[in-house]
Amino acid sequence: MARLVLHAVIAGLIGVLAQLAPVAADEMTAQEKQLYEAAKKEGNLTWYVAQYSTKQSEDHGQTFTKRYPGVTVDVIRTTGQVAYARLTQDLRAGVPQCDLFTGTDIGHYVTLKKDKQLLKYVPENHAKLRKPYQNLDSDGYYFTTSANPTVIIYNTNLVKPEEAPKNWTDLVNPKWTDKVAVAHPGFSGSMGSWTVLMVKLYGWEFLDKLKKVNPLIGRSLLDPPTILNAGERAVGISSMTTATRLYLGKNPIAIVYPTDGVKLTLSASGIPANAPHPNAAKLFANYLLSVENSETLVKWGGQPLNAAVSPPKGVPSIDEIKVAPLSEEEVVSQVPETIERWRDTFGN
Amino acid sequence: MATSSETAMGQGTVRRGLSTALLRVRFFEPASILWVLLILFLLFLVASPFAHLLVVSFEKTGGDGFTLANYVTAYSRSRYLDGLRNSLMLGLATAVVCVAFALPMAWAVSRTNMPAKWLVWGTVLGAFILPPYLTAIGWILLAGPNAGWLNRMWMAITGAESGLFDIYTFTGIVLVIALNAFPYVFLFTKSALDLVSTEMEEAANILGANAWQATWKVTLPLIWPAILGSIIIVFLEAIALFGVPALLGIPARINFVTTQLWEFFGFPLRMEVAAAYSMPLLLITLLLIYAQRLLLSRKGYVSQTGKGGERRPIDIGPWRFVLLGYCTLIGVLAVAAPAYVIVQASFSKAWGRAMSWDNFTVIHYWQILFEQSMTQQAIMNSFMFAAAAAFLAIGLALAIAYLVTRRLVPWGNVLAFLCMAPFVIPGIILAIGFYAAYATPPVALYGTATLMILAFAARFLPIAYATSAAGMRSINPEMEEAVRILGGGRLTAIRAVVAPLLKKTLLGGWLLVFIPATRELSAAIFLVGPQTRVMSVLIYDMSEEGNFELVSALGGIILIATSFFVWLGFKLVGRDFMLRGR
Repeated sequence: MARLVLHAVIAGLIGVLAQLAPVAADEMTAQEKQLYEAAKKEGNLTWYVAQYSTKQSEDHGQTFTKRYPGVTVDVIRTTGQVAYARLTQDLRAGVPQCDLFTGTDIGHYVTLKKDKQLLKYVPENHAKLRKPYQNLDSDGYYFTTSANPTVIIYNTNLVKPEEAPKNWTDLVNPKWTDKVAVAHPGFSGSMGSWTVLMVKLYGWEFLDKLKKVNPLIGRSLLDPPTILNAGERAVGISSMTTATRLYLGKNPIAIVYPTDGVKLTLSASGIPANAPHPNAAKLFANYLLSVENSETLVKWGGQPLNAAVSPPKGVPSIDEIKVAPLSEEEVVSQVPETIERWRDTFGN
Repeated sequence: MATSSETAMGQGTVRRGLSTALLRVRFFEPASILWVLLILFLLFLVASPFAHLLVVSFEKTGGDGFTLANYVTAYSRSRYLDGLRNSLMLGLATAVVCVAFALPMAWAVSRTNMPAKWLVWGTVLGAFILPPYLTAIGWILLAGPNAGWLNRMWMAITGAESGLFDIYTFTGIVLVIALNAFPYVFLFTKSALDLVSTEMEEAANILGANAWQATWKVTLPLIWPAILGSIIIVFLEAIALFGVPALLGIPARINFVTTQLWEFFGFPLRMEVAAAYSMPLLLITLLLIYAQRLLLSRKGYVSQTGKGGERRPIDIGPWRFVLLGYCTLIGVLAVAAPAYVIVQASFSKAWGRAMSWDNFTVIHYWQILFEQSMTQQAIMNSFMFAAAAAFLAIGLALAIAYLVTRRLVPWGNVLAFLCMAPFVIPGIILAIGFYAAYATPPVALYGTATLMILAFAARFLPIAYATSAAGMRSINPEMEEAVRILGGGRLTAIRAVVAPLLKKTLLGGWLLVFIPATRELSAAIFLVGPQTRVMSVLIYDMSEEGNFELVSALGGIILIATSFFVWLGFKLVGRDFMLRGR
């Protein structure tokens, strides 16, 4: 009898602890609680992500699962164009796989929305975002999950600060022949909008000049910083997040905010209309805009989305940086042609 | 009368017809249905994807109506044509380099008194264990133009401003593929050399030729068909490869057929154009295989006669050390160096830094095996898909081999041909055929494990078939007949007699399918879905982040697993198990 009571007490305790352990359930808002219950039934979600590196994406997924046990995230990390290609293949095959699409080319969302392939959903936390990040889509089909400017970086072992490039055109100076690293717009969405900006500012000749310095072309925009860090190339372009993380991690990487302005496009996430796990997707989407997740973003060197979190120390915040003018519409309309011109210029 | 007799005759025929039918039913074996199903399955697995490929290449996007537009699109841009030209050049150059690598090795092992011949065998085995994309990653770490180890060493020694080697070039790509593919030439030419008897060389010697002249004028011409045959195989391997052109060709800005096909599979998906664009590759393959057949069927090269003949190694004096040096160099370039840097990078915090204790870490293995769900799933998938594909391929191959060798069905040769066909079809084209046939509705296998398993099984069916057919030929039918006389059916005979007798052969065949299937990339890259990613695809995806430590650790796992299964094969099946079925 005594043993039975003991068992009952232990069982009760475990039950209470399980309730308490991750997030005290009463900290959750009503909507959150409801989503969590529904999400638990779905169990997991598939996340097509291009905005972060593999490791960082896994980190976002795992911190999410810590907060919401019973809901796991399958990370499918590729470059923006590849992620979109897979998504459209899914749609064409009529076999939905993706629950949340976190790409790097805003044009994809415009097309998906036009084709009625997105679910209308405004996360609860959307209202807590910093003002410039709100209302990326006024109809509520997609929302900002990353504000990651493209900057110039150089390897401090190979380049003295006074010799470093100051603006984008310095990158194509013949003195950097064989020393430049960039990415490929046919793969990377951020690289696509960067190329659109370069062509807008300096014309198609920019591509020819870039070709003359014989750059090492990776696929992802994550490629150049690693290449520079290894000393394979001396100067290049990078997302500010990666550059900040390397810089704060005492790697031989320095950041230049070009005088003609960084490229800044907001990167979006959206839930496909036919997502197999829509509730888990909504819960995760809401989580991506939460305070916790912005802290994770900052930990990885990124800019926080949630207004309650401050940017990483030691680097300027986004309001202090000069941003080059580039509209969403320009990106949407120019990227496909730019990719073709790039491929014809560089041969693949 | 006449009428009644006609009726009687008619009835007789009917009755006889009926009784034969009854007899048929009586002797009808359930196995027959199985045979029909198996043949249908073989058609489904091999013939239908190619039929679809051909049909799709003439289809309008979306699938209705005949058009030639895909062909116009596929051959209208200079970039696309460059891809074709570059692939042909790549195949040719790789084949030539392979011969330069492997011919001296084969000659040294087969004909000379060179010491330490095991070293060459070790190299050949090592090159088999390293998948091409890992050789490429190893060489990126070795010969990246500025940060590669070799280049930094060169800069440190000479004080030069820039490195000596650049792997991101056409030459670099050729070299990497050749270092991986030369075993084909080695195995082909070595077995041909083994058959040339010393007497022929001696005859030349008696007529006044020295050892070199005899080799050049007698031995070499005799093995010409084998060399040409292996050149064709290497050529086909090289043009069908996806991993190396993608890893090295994209940064090198060189377009190849396979990377261009991958671009067509990007956004917007142009499967129809891809099908049209893959036709030259298919045609070249078919032509070359036909050429190889012609070549090998010519009768002027008979060197094996009923008289045996003696084969003595030629004493080449001090030259044997020169040859040994050459073989060692190839061994280092092909296996030791790339494998070493991959293993080292996988245990490093930063691969660019020198080897030291404070740079040592096992964190990458830890993350892959225990932390990241993505890599865990990919590793599981790789082994499960490969195992399932191997069972499927061996099961089907054994059954078809049984049908063909026991002549149970007409058109056995056609079945055998179908089983062997995927051997010569580039994996990437097989994958596009599979995509066209089965990914989309009505079959709708898109993104499923089934699709991957079927594709792997089809891709490696020839290995399974060659092994099974060789095994079947070694079994005298009288043992099965005994079963049948005692009242057992065909299936009993297979289960109780054939399978146990072929246990070792089947195990060997299973491993020969399983091992390459665990690392397959060219077909997998077109067929994976989010839940069916395998290690090779993950390596390709992760390599774009420049995170070579993690990529190397994943590569390390492939190397360890492959070595283990090769060892297992040696242990259970015998030393020559990898040479069977080729």
